[in-house]
Amino acid sequence: MNYPFWDVPHIGSGWVIGLIAIFHVMISHFAVGGGLYLPLTEHKALREGRKDWLEILRKHAKFFLVLTGVFGAVSGVGIWFAIGLTHPEGTSALIHNFVFGWAMEWVFFMLELTTAAVYYYTWGRIPNQLHLKIGYFYAFTSFFTLFIINGILTFMLFPGKPWLEVAGTGQEASRFWQAFFNPTFWPSLGLRCMACVSLAGVWALLSCSRINGDDQPQLKTSMVRWSAKWLLPSFLTLPLFFGWYLWEVPESQRALLQLGISTISSGVFSQLTRASFIVMSSSIVVVAVVYLFAWRSPRDLAIPHAIGVLFLALCATGSTEYAREMLRKPYVIGGYMYSNGVRKTAVAKNNENGYLATTPWIAKTTPELENMARGEAMFRGQCMSCHTRDSYRSMTRLLAGRNRETIGNLLKILHEYALESPYRKFMPPLVGTPAEIDSLADYLTVISQAPEPEAKPKLAAAPKEAKPN
Amino acid sequence: MKKEYNHKAVPTEGEMTRGAFLKAAAGGVGLCYAAAAGYPIYRYLSSPIEKVESAATVSEVTVPDGQKLAKGEAKMFKFGAKPAMLIHHQDDSWVALIAVCTHLGCTAQYESAKNRIFCACHGGVYDPKTGGNVSGPPPRPLTRLEVKVTADGVVVTQNPTAKT
Amino acid sequence: MKTLFTSVYAWVDERLGLEEIQAFARKKRVPLHAQSFWYYWGGISLFFFIMQAVTGVLLMVYYRPGPDAYESVRQITYDMNFGWLIRSTHSWSANLMLGAVFIHMFSVYFMKAYRQPREFGWWSGLALLILATVFGFSGYLLPMDDLAYFATKVGLEVPASAPVIGPLIAKLVRGGTEVGAHTVQRFYTLHVVILPALFIPILMFHLWLVQKHGNAVPPAEENKPVAQRRSIPFFPNFVIKDVAVWLIALNVLAVLAAIFPWDLGPQADALRPAPKGIHPEWYFMSQFQVLKVMGDWMRGTLGEVVGVLLFTGGMVAWFLVPLYDPNKSSGRKARQATYFGLAVLAVLIITTIWGYAAL
Repeated sequence: MNYPFWDVPHIGSGWVIGLIAIFHVMISHFAVGGGLYLPLTEHKALREGRKDWLEILRKHAKFFLVLTGVFGAVSGVGIWFAIGLTHPEGTSALIHNFVFGWAMEWVFFMLELTTAAVYYYTWGRIPNQLHLKIGYFYAFTSFFTLFIINGILTFMLFPGKPWLEVAGTGQEASRFWQAFFNPTFWPSLGLRCMACVSLAGVWALLSCSRINGDDQPQLKTSMVRWSAKWLLPSFLTLPLFFGWYLWEVPESQRALLQLGISTISSGVFSQLTRASFIVMSSSIVVVAVVYLFAWRSPRDLAIPHAIGVLFLALCATGSTEYAREMLRKPYVIGGYMYSNGVRKTAVAKNNENGYLATTPWIAKTTPELENMARGEAMFRGQCMSCHTRDSYRSMTRLLAGRNRETIGNLLKILHEYALESPYRKFMPPLVGTPAEIDSLADYLTVISQAPEPEAKPKLAAAPKEAKPN
Repeated sequence: MKKEYNHKAVPTEGEMTRGAFLKAAAGGVGLCYAAAAGYPIYRYLSSPIEKVESAATVSEVTVPDGQKLAKGEAKMFKFGAKPAMLIHHQDDSWVALIAVCTHLGCTAQYESAKNRIFCACHGGVYDPKTGGNVSGPPPRPLTRLEVKVTADGVVVTQNPTAKT
Repeated sequence: MKTLFTSVYAWVDERLGLEEIQAFARKKRVPLHAQSFWYYWGGISLFFFIMQAVTGVLLMVYYRPGPDAYESVRQITYDMNFGWLIRSTHSWSANLMLGAVFIHMFSVYFMKAYRQPREFGWWSGLALLILATVFGFSGYLLPMDDLAYFATKVGLEVPASAPVIGPLIAKLVRGGTEVGAHTVQRFYTLHVVILPALFIPILMFHLWLVQKHGNAVPPAEENKPVAQRRSIPFFPNFVIKDVAVWLIALNVLAVLAAIFPWDLGPQADALRPAPKGIHPEWYFMSQFQVLKVMGDWMRGTLGEVVGVLLFTGGMVAWFLVPLYDPNKSSGRKARQATYFGLAVLAVLIITTIWGYAAL
């Protein structure tokens, strides 16, 4: 049986990971930042003898526990399911290198979940000092889950030279720590910590917005302003960390940022620039809006305002995660594995023996495929981790107006992967024997024929017709 | 970061300077953000200047051993940042062109069998003698360069009248 | 630093009377109630208009009307740094502005803010809406790509169908018998000179009226005793929130412009058959669909004439509502005005959806 290369209609399998991941980031970063917010705020309330704060904080802790413990944990596991189905080769490579890292993360994660529950359920039942200690212990464990996953995520952007030297030799594990503390590890950790602290403030504002400002003006003003202050660190340090991060990103990847400045091209080449633009705009606006809504008029802060802020934070985190994914192109693991799952070192072997014969995800027992089926297998294996047939980065749209000859020429460019090819910056090489590539061209020619733009129902039915080919 | 907000033990005077420092820092960072917001507009307005400057940076390139190019063959080389091609025609004439397709900026190729310059991205076709856009989507001809064949190589220079 | 600022301020104040403006701003209050949310939509519309002016001026830097129009827009979209962004922002902001204006208009209508003494506010607002749609119509042609060309061609059928003077007007607007370089030149003049010259004074008048009469409160709020009504100072409280809402609007605009940059179709070619499903922008869809349906129901030009008359009649009634329902006491007329508003809203929404479904 062939491994199920996941065929998700419309959004493509990449966006399944993307949507889960953005949802997860909003919550998991809150789990880390909020983990610091709770004990720090409790500490402050105890020192200043503010009983009313503690009452609000307790409600916030409950909200925190439910949101992070249920939705955060479940969406985290969801990412595992999605990446395994979408990108088996990349997932496999990560597991082979970082199984020990994930084991550590799992320990911290279990501690984190347990402590969060203990923190909430012991509220008011144990001495204050002990309760605070539990809170700080939670903050510590949740920070380390971030610390470890950050190592793995930054590794995917660029593993660093030491690891790349031994990649593929079977000695990868010997450079575990070099790969873990790769060049972008620290600036990325800084960026993520700032995002955590900001999200702690943003989610806390949601809790604070429910305080009745007319009945308890003093309480509302003080808590809203305290929570709004949590956006200040990121406001001050974001340019710094962002500059440092870009400095550490390999030159070839940084050049991708420039691609979309002068053109929208056919849309795909400029996605990173456009996503970065949203990152900039949303990060600035979210701080300004918190300042205006929360800091300047704390008593009037209502739930719609807080939801508005949350929406801006979602724009900021979502576009950041998207930009981070795009920054890796044409690789899924920088300098090692292309985004279609082909290892850089295996390109020659694939070209010689054939992609379908080399890839481990297609059963070797299958009898010789006929032309179209071979083309589709090539498409599923090498195109579908980024493209869909007819919607997201649609083949129908991108290949519109081309015939078999021009599609063949385009595939030739992708296959030859010459230094000056404009596609080289973004797309992996197309591997396989000439016969396989011809099959792919035949297949693409068939699926890229735009359905006649007459009636709506026909348009909707087109993807189903395309499938059996 | 957390300590700044937490310790009330800091003396009042220190508090004052901290406030002033924060204000100054926030103002400075705010300026950075404002500059970032103005950056696209600056780049937009300066586009023609950048284009002129990048075109002016390179005006002459020598293609080493270009003179050994056989008739009916073409050779790719870099003219500044742009890919360019040198063609030695069957009638012994030499033509050099910037190989950036005027449609969407892909690199065009010389196809000697069909005696045409072809951009595979969207099927644009150019005349290999003049660089004129013959068919397909390209809106303008390719930019021509001046060619001088010497004993050590082919010297390609920017055509002073052509605009890039 | 502080003293310098105070002395400069005092110098300017002495000459321009800044204190008076400040005193006015301090005195002005904005009512606070369950429907306060709708007060922001006028400001949002204004914000998008300012964005239109800024990005419009930036586009004028490289845009060339006339035979070169398409090529210059192609350069803006594909060659100039961030040109695609400026252009996308302009297009998106235009659509968002019209959307915000519609929301503003209907919220004003249902809160009965057109009543005495605010009739001129209502009328000037409607004038602004009509000008805004003409802005949209004239701007749509300027890139001279396939879609713009055919949409304008189809759109000009509407004035052409008016009895007697229709064809004459259409020819005059077109600057010929066919849409071409002359039309672009004309539309450009309209878009960047004539319309702003009309729009800005009316907008100033509209804003001045809001300052003069203050915000209207909905009838439910008006029935409350004065002591129970709440309000917040215009400055700084309302302004702060207004600015925050503008920033959110700016971010929505940035997200849309970056994720869905406005595309440029192939160059307009009169000889090519029109692409299927050509249709005007969404804010003309309702009229477009009504004309189409009327044309199907009745023979010849009669259908079009009836359609145009129907719309004109509806607009006149919409325009005259302040005279029909002038003061807070009239219960029956107020109810009828509300029903009329709901009917108009329903017709607009249904015909628009119908129009898109029938493409």
